Amino acid sequence: MDPLFERTRSKIRKISKVTLVASGKGGVGKSIVSSSIALISAKRGLKTGLLDLDVHGPSIPRIFSFNGEIVAGKKGLIPPVVNGVKIMSLGFMIGENPLPLRGEDKRSALSLLLAITDWGELDHLVIDMPPGTGDETLFCIRAIKSTNASALIVTTPSSLSLSVVARLIDLLRGEGVRVLGLVENLAYFRCDNELIRPFGNIDEGFLSRYGLKILESLPIDPMIEEEIKSGKLLESPGEFRSRIESLFDKVVG
Amino acid sequence: MHEWSLAEAILEALTSLMEQEGMKSISEVEILYGEMMELELDILRFALEELSRETPMKDTKFTFSEEKASFRCNSCGYRWDFEQAHSLLSGELGIREDPTGERESPIHFIPELAQALMRCPNCGSRDFEIESGKGIRISRIVIER
Repeated sequence: MDPLFERTRSKIRKISKVTLVASGKGGVGKSIVSSSIALISAKRGLKTGLLDLDVHGPSIPRIFSFNGEIVAGKKGLIPPVVNGVKIMSLGFMIGENPLPLRGEDKRSALSLLLAITDWGELDHLVIDMPPGTGDETLFCIRAIKSTNASALIVTTPSSLSLSVVARLIDLLRGEGVRVLGLVENLAYFRCDNELIRPFGNIDEGFLSRYGLKILESLPIDPMIEEEIKSGKLLESPGEFRSRIESLFDKVVG
Repeated sequence: MHEWSLAEAILEALTSLMEQEGMKSISEVEILYGEMMELELDILRFALEELSRETPMKDTKFTFSEEKASFRCNSCGYRWDFEQAHSLLSGELGIREDPTGERESPIHFIPELAQALMRCPNCGSRDFEIESGKGIRISRIVIER
């Protein structure tokens, strides 16, 4: 019997709102979207946690520019609070080293991370899921089973990205996870007042086949990269931030 | 320091098992843990005793068995133990126990992180297996119905 997995499940059950931010494919901006939702959630006054479950490429420490030391208290690892968000990631513990974990080891590392993180009181936990449908994703789905957690799927309009998204949606729904809808990232940019969509539009047939709707379309905004470099994501007002706020209202309210 | 959260995890798992199986009480529980967890058994025993006071596990006897850690390189076949593993870890990365406490290696909290923080001492490869000595599980319980 694995007491850590039981602990993980009971910790998640105690949080009233859990949002999974997932994508079938890597590099579509999932970590930026999950970080942005967590930041808006904290700004709106919710006690918010952000958990980075990406074992091979944890991005949350960099997005939040946290280079400090993790502290362990009596009840476990204490997530550092950055810009009002409690954040936790394996990235805090491995520096720049690769983490070549195999299937079962991924599950047990994440199980331990969840079981011994002392979130304190939380209203909202945002989980930045790993890309794909591998062991980490399966672990997370098992951990949130029978809770009210729901999933946001981040994709680009590219047909390559959508074909992978379709597999993820099949998996999530098959395991009873509620899929809230799609976030279309890197969807467009503006040039001389003209709206340009470099990857085209998400196929309407795809949306109806999977019973999905696009909850929000996010622009390509060079400012985001600058904000990440300076550890100030969503600091400046603009279209990206206002669309993330609108997305938050739709999924959390 | 993570002994307290592990004690909570153990008791929570046992409580849930008792509810599911309609058990009256559990007289004995055996915990099998990996050497890499570097558990301080006195603290874990004390935590279990304190946290189980007002629960049906207040009289449960907890026993502990340690599984030795062993590592094997997939590249050159070299094997090594935890003592040697310890000497390979750099002190660069650590987790502080309390803001003013000692610094512990992250593998004390999550043994699987050895895959990031260590290389084969023979050939330097990162492709190695932790064959044994990590994790914690309830390996045996004696119940009263």
